[in-house]
Amino acid sequence: MPVNIIVLFKQIIDIDLLKADPSTGSPLVQNLPLRLETLSKNAIEEAVRIKEKKGGKVYGLCFGTEKASSALKEAYAMGVDEGLIITGYERNDPTRTAKVLAEKIKTIPHDIVMMGNQSAESYTGLLAGKIAKILGEPLLSNAIKVDVEEGKARVVMATESENLTAEAATPLVISVTQEINEPRLPPVMQILQAGKKPINMEATSISGSSEVQVISNLAPKSERKKLVFEDPEKGIPEVSKAIREAIK
Amino acid sequence: MVFSDVDDLGIQINSFLSGTMETDSVTSGKDPYRVAKYCAGNIYALKGRQFPESIAASILELQKKNDYDYIFIGSTAIGRDVAALLSEDLGFEVASEITGFRTEGGRIITRRFFYGGKTVLEESSTAKILTVMPGISEPKSSAKEGTVTEIESPASRITLIGAEDKTSGAVDLEKAGIIVSIGRGIGKQENIEKVNPLVEAVRGELAGSRPICLDYHWLSEDRQVGLSGKKVRPRVYIALGISGQIQHIAGMRGSKTVVAINKDKAAPIFEEADYGIVGDLFQIVPKLVEAIKSGQ
Ligand SMILES: Cc1cc2nc3c(=O)[nH]c(=O)nc-3n(C[C@H](O)[C@H](O)[C@H](O)COP(=O)(O)OP(=O)(O)OC[C@H]3O[C@@H](n4cnc5c(N)ncnc54)[C@H](O)[C@@H]3O)c2cc1C
Ligand SMILES: Nc1ncnc2c1ncn2[C@@H]1O[C@H](COP(=O)(O)O)[C@@H](O)[C@H]1O
Repeated sequence: MPVNIIVLFKQIIDIDLLKADPSTGSPLVQNLPLRLETLSKNAIEEAVRIKEKKGGKVYGLCFGTEKASSALKEAYAMGVDEGLIITGYERNDPTRTAKVLAEKIKTIPHDIVMMGNQSAESYTGLLAGKIAKILGEPLLSNAIKVDVEEGKARVVMATESENLTAEAATPLVISVTQEINEPRLPPVMQILQAGKKPINMEATSISGSSEVQVISNLAPKSERKKLVFEDPEKGIPEVSKAIREAIK
Repeated sequence: MVFSDVDDLGIQINSFLSGTMETDSVTSGKDPYRVAKYCAGNIYALKGRQFPESIAASILELQKKNDYDYIFIGSTAIGRDVAALLSEDLGFEVASEITGFRTEGGRIITRRFFYGGKTVLEESSTAKILTVMPGISEPKSSAKEGTVTEIESPASRITLIGAEDKTSGAVDLEKAGIIVSIGRGIGKQENIEKVNPLVEAVRGELAGSRPICLDYHWLSEDRQVGLSGKKVRPRVYIALGISGQIQHIAGMRGSKTVVAINKDKAAPIFEEADYGIVGDLFQIVPKLVEAIKSGQ
C-alpha cells in the first residue's frame, strides 16, 4: 500500500556559526550561510524511509523566501520527489506559517503530514498542533518511532515521563523528534540529479499580523571569570579551592 | 488558568504567578491533590490517559465557562501541542517557551531564548496563551488548599496501545547544589564510573549532555541538562568533556560557579566557565579528587 507524505521543511541561518557583537550583544545574522533546519531533516529522513519501505510519494513543502531553493535541492537529494516553496516568509510567526502551509496542504491529497516537533532556531514547537487543528486531522506528536499500516499509523510518542505507543487513522499529522533517526548524507550522484529537478515557487497572499513587537533580541552577557589553565598542575589547585569554597 | 501534565511544573508555574494573579489549575498529572497545596483556587483533574487533542477539548470547555484572561501551559511535549491546538480553537496568540513575563497596558511582555539559545528575545504582544519553560521558580505552598474537581476525558481519535514509564524518580537536578555533568568526552558508558569518585567527593548529582542521555541512554533522560532538558542553577556546575554548544549552555547558565574540563582549548564551554582546565578528563579528574579530599 503506497503512502503519500507531505513533509514540511524550513530553512534557517546557520546558528552554530552565529556570533554576537561583543559590545552590544546584537546577533550578527547578515551574510551567514543558510541551511536546512535540523528537525526538518529528521522529518524528511523519516518520510523518505517510509516511502522506501511502502512505496508512494514524498512531497516537500517550505514556507520561505527565494533563497530556499538550496534547501529544496537538499531535500530532493535526500529523496523528496516533488517540492514547492511558498514565498513571502518574513519572520517567526507560527500562526501565519501554519495558515499558509495548511491552506496548501488542503489541496494536496496525502496520508501523512510530517514535520519536526520543535525547530532548532526558534524552538517554537507550535506548528504541528496548529496545522492538525486547521486540517481537522489527528495529531501524533514527538515521535521517536513511526510505523505505517493500511489506513493507520502507529507512533511511539516521547513525553517527559513516558513513551506512549499510540495509533490513529490516516490522514494524520506526525511531528518527529531529533532522536528518531540519523538523517542521511546524500551521495554525490543524488545531489547532482537533485540539481536538475524543478524548483517550484509560488507567492502567498496570506498576510501576517503585526501584533507582536520585538523589544530586544540580544546575546545574554556572560559574567564568567574565564580563568582557563592550560597547565593542569596550576589549574587543579585553583579549581579544587573554588569547589571547596562552594561546597562548604 | 494553568495547565500542566507534569505536576512539578504546574506547581512551579502557580508559584511563579501567585501574587501576580489568581489561578485555577488543570492537570493531567499524577497527583492533583499535591497540586492543590500550591496556590491554585480550583484544580480540575483530567481523568485517565490523555492525548493533546482530548486535553485541549477539556480546557476549551473550561475556558468557555470561566473566561480566563490568560492560559499558562507547561512547556512540555504535550503542553506545547495543547497550546497550539487551543490557540487555533480560540483564536488567541501564543507566546511559547517563555522564561519570564510582565504585563503592561493590556499587553504582555515575554522573554524567551531565540537562535537556538544564543539570544534572549523580548517581545510585546497580546498573547493570551503562554507556554512556560521548566525551572522558572521554586514551589511556594499556600495556606489555603484548592478544591479538586475530576473531569472525564472526551472521546479521542487516538488509541493508546501501550505506555512505558521512563522516570527514574531518583533525581531532582533543578534542586541540586552541585552537579557533575558529562558529555561525549566520556567516550563510553563504562567510563562513567571513573568520574563517580568526583561526584562523591563533592556530594553532587550526576548529569549529562543530550547525546549522553537521549541518544546513547548512558544516563536516564531526566538527567539531561540543556535547552530541551533540565534548567539547573547549582552552586557549582562541573562540565567534563562537554563542548558547550549553545543548547547545552541554555540549561546551565543559571549556575553560580562553572568549572570545565576539556581537552580542546577552543571548546566553547570555556567561554561559559569561571574555571577551566585544558586536558584529558581521565587524567585530571583523579588528581582533582585527591586535591579536594586533601584540602589543597
Ligand atoms: C533543538 C535542539 C535542542 C538541543 N537540546 C540540547 C540539550 O538540552 N542539551 C544538550 O546537551 N544538547 C542539546 N542539543 C545538542 C547540542 O547541540 C550538542 O550537540 C550537544 O550538547 C553536544 O554534546 P557534547 O558536548 O556532550 O558532545 P560534543 O559536542 O561531541 O563534545 C564532546 C567534547 O568532549 C571533549 N573531549 C573528548 N574527549 C575528552 C577527554 N578525554 N577529556 C576531556 N575532554 C574530552 C571534546 O573536546 C569535545 O569538546 C540540542 C540540539 C538541538 C538542535
Ligand atoms: N516556514 C516553514 N515552512 C515549512 N515547514 C516549517 C516552517 N517552519 C517550521 N516548519 C516545520 O515545523 C517544524 C517545527 O517548527 P516550529 O513549530 O516552528 O518549532 C520544523 O522542524 C519544520 O519541519
